[in-house]
Amino acid sequence: MTIDPDGTKPIYIQIAEWLETEILAGHIQADEKVYSQYQLADMFNINPATAAKGLKLLAEQNILYKKRGLGMFVSGQAYDIIRQRRKNETLLDLARSLLTEATRLGLHEQELIDLIKSLYRQQQNEQKGGEPHDRRGGHGGE
Amino acid sequence: MTVVEATGVSKQYGPLTAIDQLSLHIDEHKLIGLVGRNGAGKSTLLKLIAGFIKPSAGTIKVFGATPFNNLMVSAQTILIYDRLPFVPSLTIEECLEIMGQFYANWDHELARKLCHYFELNFKADPARLSKGQQNTFYTILGIATRSPLTLLDEPTLGMDKAVRTDIYRLILKDYLHHPRTLIISSHLIGEMADLLEEIILIDRGKLLVHQPVDELSQAVIRLQGSQAILDPLLNRFEVFEQHELGKGTVSLVIKNELSQSMINHLKSKQVKISPLALDEVCVYLTKNSRGGIDDVFKDNWPVQ
Repeated sequence: MTIDPDGTKPIYIQIAEWLETEILAGHIQADEKVYSQYQLADMFNINPATAAKGLKLLAEQNILYKKRGLGMFVSGQAYDIIRQRRKNETLLDLARSLLTEATRLGLHEQELIDLIKSLYRQQQNEQKGGEPHDRRGGHGGE
Repeated sequence: MTVVEATGVSKQYGPLTAIDQLSLHIDEHKLIGLVGRNGAGKSTLLKLIAGFIKPSAGTIKVFGATPFNNLMVSAQTILIYDRLPFVPSLTIEECLEIMGQFYANWDHELARKLCHYFELNFKADPARLSKGQQNTFYTILGIATRSPLTLLDEPTLGMDKAVRTDIYRLILKDYLHHPRTLIISSHLIGEMADLLEEIILIDRGKLLVHQPVDELSQAVIRLQGSQAILDPLLNRFEVFEQHELGKGTVSLVIKNELSQSMINHLKSKQVKISPLALDEVCVYLTKNSRGGIDDVFKDNWPVQ
């Protein structure tokens, strides 16, 4: 729960988002163990209780699950849950901000669409030959 | 497990009330920041917990016992402050040896490595070090002691920025490997915020808040928007600061008691809601009632 997208987000949310991005990128796969609260505390130089709060947030959304005495693991649906939620919330918020600024500048609908199209093509070209954009194929057990 | 339990504790120094009916409960294995303005009673509180002094009223229990004159409590507690009573003439190396004789968990190897890292000369007299180096040395002692209750009173006083960054990291690293209860008082709480789990904020000897860091960070917020929208808030919430920003626009700093629907309403009216840094939150919560420094000069010193 952030007060303002422009402001600084609480650290535990930043930790949760960082882990989500790692999962989206395929760096941590389904049924793989995630970093412990102590590893996260050491990596990000934060209190381990804060890191634990970030892990708990993901567990509540069924992105992570707990194995008693072994730690937290990435759930089978993690990728889909994160993608769906980010699309419905984060992306939509970003699109709204984009639209607000475009309106402020008096941009026409077509100008805005052209801008996004050209940026999209640019990024596609840059990624050609690199890693595939969607790494879902790498997820096992589905 | 409870480590510290204070109930209605007061400490009187002649006419001065340093601690005023303070009650506090501290659980084990927490890394806690102790914050307050100059003279708020931080050092007195730490001395009461360490058993260096006796409360004038109320009771204080540390590991279930009264800390004053108590060997069981002293063996498990260390209070580090900037005037540690070492015998003059002792070198840094000799001080390290002595610590090992008093404290069961003392890690001599760690203490030596840290002194080496911070370029402290083993043959030097700690009293002749610079303020920053002296406090670096004392903090090393405090950490290497590994006391179940470790109290650091203003450990970073006089340290340069690079050393402070190292000291914060060193405290966190050692805490991760050896969890224990650590209370650190500081005026640079903004620098330490990420390290801490809880904050104890005291003001004029009284406990103001004892809260997890992320809750306290949201306790005060800044609103910027049109005067017409924000004016109705003025008598509904505690206002710490208000000023005008250009035509019809105001900036308010208020206690964050806004409901979610209120936040949504303000956002829909283009009000910018932003959080404050933790040290700013603490400053507003302990602001004195006599206005700002400008009010002192208001009548007598108009600038021409």
